[in-house]
Amino acid sequence: MNTPTRTSVKVAYSLAGGALLILAAQLIGQFGLAGRAWPPVMDVVSYVTTPAGASLLWRNTLVTFSSAAQGFLLGAVIAVLGAALALVVPIIRPGMDRFAAILHAVPTIALAPLLITTVGREDAPAVIAALSVGFVMFVTMASGFANTSSAHQDLFTVIGANRTRRLARLELPRAVPAFFDGLTLSAPAAILGATIGEWFGAPMGLGLVIVSAMQNYQMALLWAAAMAATIMSLLAYLVFIQLQRVAMRRFT
Amino acid sequence: MSSTATLTPMETKPAEHATRTAVSVNRADKIFTLSRGKKLQALAEVDLEVREGEFVAIIGPSGCGKSTVLRLAAGLDRPTNGTVEIFGAAPHELATQHRLGVAFQEHALLPWASVRSNIALPYKVAGRKVDDARVDGLIELVGLKGFEKARPKQLSGGMRQRVSIARALALSPDLLLLDEPFGALDAVTRRRMNAELARIWGEEKITTILVTHDVDEALILADRVVVMTGRPGRVRTIKNVDFPRPRDAATTRSPEFHELVDELTSLLDANDGDAA
Repeated sequence: MNTPTRTSVKVAYSLAGGALLILAAQLIGQFGLAGRAWPPVMDVVSYVTTPAGASLLWRNTLVTFSSAAQGFLLGAVIAVLGAALALVVPIIRPGMDRFAAILHAVPTIALAPLLITTVGREDAPAVIAALSVGFVMFVTMASGFANTSSAHQDLFTVIGANRTRRLARLELPRAVPAFFDGLTLSAPAAILGATIGEWFGAPMGLGLVIVSAMQNYQMALLWAAAMAATIMSLLAYLVFIQLQRVAMRRFT
Repeated sequence: MSSTATLTPMETKPAEHATRTAVSVNRADKIFTLSRGKKLQALAEVDLEVREGEFVAIIGPSGCGKSTVLRLAAGLDRPTNGTVEIFGAAPHELATQHRLGVAFQEHALLPWASVRSNIALPYKVAGRKVDDARVDGLIELVGLKGFEKARPKQLSGGMRQRVSIARALALSPDLLLLDEPFGALDAVTRRRMNAELARIWGEEKITTILVTHDVDEALILADRVVVMTGRPGRVRTIKNVDFPRPRDAATTRSPEFHELVDELTSLLDANDGDAA
């Protein structure tokens, strides 16, 4: 009885909060409170609704989405395999932890020239996205694998489980909620990584749009591209948080 | 033998090897190293022999190392000194041959699996085909018919314990270890579970070691009761329990039963004094 009311109140709150935020952004832009680099929201919206603006944004959003999705998949697969390997061969775990931390600590800006010469301008965004995703996924999966209770480990010992069956029947299912936790955190990181990756000479994508809009002082376009990246990031987060909830219900 | 042809084959086992030693614990010490080099002696020179087909209960004050004895028998821990042999071999060999059944204090059910898959888990881990008839039989044995598809969090504490006992029995183990499987239950459910366990044991006659702190429970179920002292755990005394089976309310109300309960309880009380 109570739940639908509570949900609708929640939705009403978030809508009201969003509306207030947009209104504030509009007023700041309208009165020039933050200088000329902050246009009124309505200017951005009217740019997006022009056929040329819409088509430009849509094409570039698709490119960024595709790079982010590739990086997301690549990073997640490598990280899960790496974390599983570190679980099965415990002696390499400290080394892999350190490697992941060092790789993560190197700034993207420093990696960019290296990536451009190795994988090329077009694939650099996907690789940078994969690096951000990989670190988050490796850390969450490693802790998800380490999270098995000692009672369950004892059970698998006394029923004579070998390494493969222990992994398949205990450690993998147990780590499913952690897996979706990791995906929820990684999805926005993948989009951010792809966008930044496009700054280094990618032929298309929201990152390129942002850089060129900045250089040509096209404030409405700059904000529209930022908005497109934000919306994509939010949508990805919302999708994965739902999956994560389902996984939590099913596996705990 | 022809008259018993309809019974399950494992019921003939105890008669065949009634004199074989199932579990042999020999002067076992267990010393745990805690942080900063501190040591805790959990067991001191524990001797215990369990014959095949026998039901032995271990009672003692909490923290006396009862569960440690069980962990030694299960191959989950090794004794610091002394030896533990199960059917003449190292304890972990029984586990790797999938001949060991253990019901833990925490039921240790897999939360993502149904009652049925939890009970069938030992088959899958052993790489054997799941014997559906046997699993169905176990579900019925522990009174969980109709709950096959339920998941552990949808069950009560007593039901989870019963699933865990059914899982321990799944592969018809040669040795069954029960670590206070009814510890978390209320008195009424506990008595009902005792009766059910006595009935299950009567049907399968598996060599069993039960760890408990409940004297009545030990006397209802066991052929022998081992009384342990407080830290470090030692075997204080071993009592034979000769009440006829099944031990129903008539047995538990008898003066002899009460006498034995009082005797063992006073032994436990004395232990508490020692431990303090």
